[in-house]
Amino acid sequence: MPLTAFLGIQYDFQWSVLWTGGHGEWLIQGILTTLRLSALSWLFASFLGILAGALRTVPFRPLRALAVLYVEFFRNVPLLVWLFFWYFGAPQMLPRVAQDWLNVHGPEFWSAVVGLSVYHGARMSEVIRAGIQSIPRTLLEACVATGLSVGQAYRLIIIPVALRLIIPPATNESLNLLKNSSLALTIGVAELTFMSRQIETYTAKAFEALTAGTLIYLVLCLGISATMAQVERHFRIPGLIARVGRAEH
Amino acid sequence: MRRVLSVMAVAAIVLGLAVAGWAAESTLEKINRTGVFTVGTRTASPPFGYINKQNEWVGFSVDLAKLVHKNIEKKLNKSIKFELKESTPATRIPLLSSGAVDLIAGTMTDTRPRRDSVDFSLTFFVTGAQFLVKEGSPIRGIQDITGKRVASQQGSTNERALRERGVQAQLVVFPDQAAGFTALVQGRVDTYTNDGIQLWGLKYKAPNPNEWKVVGDFYTYEPYGMAMRKNDSDFRAVVNNALMEALEDGEYFKIYENWFGPKSDTPYPLSDSVKSFLMYQVVPK
Repeated sequence: MPLTAFLGIQYDFQWSVLWTGGHGEWLIQGILTTLRLSALSWLFASFLGILAGALRTVPFRPLRALAVLYVEFFRNVPLLVWLFFWYFGAPQMLPRVAQDWLNVHGPEFWSAVVGLSVYHGARMSEVIRAGIQSIPRTLLEACVATGLSVGQAYRLIIIPVALRLIIPPATNESLNLLKNSSLALTIGVAELTFMSRQIETYTAKAFEALTAGTLIYLVLCLGISATMAQVERHFRIPGLIARVGRAEH
Repeated sequence: MRRVLSVMAVAAIVLGLAVAGWAAESTLEKINRTGVFTVGTRTASPPFGYINKQNEWVGFSVDLAKLVHKNIEKKLNKSIKFELKESTPATRIPLLSSGAVDLIAGTMTDTRPRRDSVDFSLTFFVTGAQFLVKEGSPIRGIQDITGKRVASQQGSTNERALRERGVQAQLVVFPDQAAGFTALVQGRVDTYTNDGIQLWGLKYKAPNPNEWKVVGDFYTYEPYGMAMRKNDSDFRAVVNNALMEALEDGEYFKIYENWFGPKSDTPYPLSDSVKSFLMYQVVPK
């Protein structure tokens, strides 16, 4: 291309490496693995997050302590270290029979799921705790006054309200989870970043291969943000400062 | 608006000229200008490039790179700093293309597809791919790995060879040798594949060498060469001359004895055919 030659760039662009030679299938495999890994981890992380976030606000000391222990222990260590721990460290504690079973059922993928879920669960719990703590205490008192137990009040009223309040930071954490799934390549999971690098090592066309990975992540994340913006619009609680879309009057 | 556009146009031209000027520099010019010769090598591939017990970065390839360094100093007639940088199979070609290193001296196999992206020096070592297994494993070679879990490194010729042969094994690909070997130690995979000599290095450096064995006939031919940027004949001549001189005056064989001799940690005798091949590469002065 004359423009690149003019700018002194001595690189031979070959965008066709992205779909020839089976590389297109690799990228699609990578995308599917990333989505599977992220979706499963997100489900477990949300569950753990809601549980731990709620437990940190209940008026019962031992449960609060348990939740604090979980959150501080798991979020203060880098995710990469956790992935190595769950893949290389934790299975050593299991009995030999369990380890043998695990070794033939995709240990790389499941170690990554566990690592991501537990780490992001700890981070999500803080977000959910912030949402719960922004609800006035009067709501909880009203629930208890109508005859609900504390557990029922949390399950039926408090948590659903909190979830509607924390959609922006929760979206942020979810996008972080999707992007952090790329770290799984260090324990042998063949996800999208791995596949981009695979194309790069087979063809030496680093720019094209890594641009493909970049653009795909960008599209996935923008898609999620756009969806969550719609969800936020739909579930906003009237009367709060939140202004999404046009003014009502 | 027009003024902004014209300022941007001038800036683009100036930048383009600056970039063009930089991009055309040869490796020897770059080494002369910066005063540093950077070599990319391995950190966990004994005995080619690794960190030893005294926390020093040593190896057979490192010693050969030092010979090249001496030759560069002779050619440029000044003292040049020698620096090592870590490279893995997946990162070595990008490191070269970006200019972060000037030479890759580790465990890189000279292959025809790779010659499209980089230039290679003379072959300085010959080996082939094999398998590393725990003592007592039923795997004897490439014929036994169907359905088994095989660890390898991303970007290596071994991983590519197994894929191209359509072997029905489950390939687990790790970013580097350390992760792959740990997976084998823990039984996460049934075998680890890499070039035979590197597997011997791992075996001898393991806490209990008798636990491991290297099995299988060579299923690939792996001639190791040093890699450098393309279209840089002057630098390539310097590298090749250094290797040829070392082969001629016996320095190469002294270094080989040090790393692969009977008293070393990884004894690997030089066969007659390989020795002849290496000597035939030395063209007359």
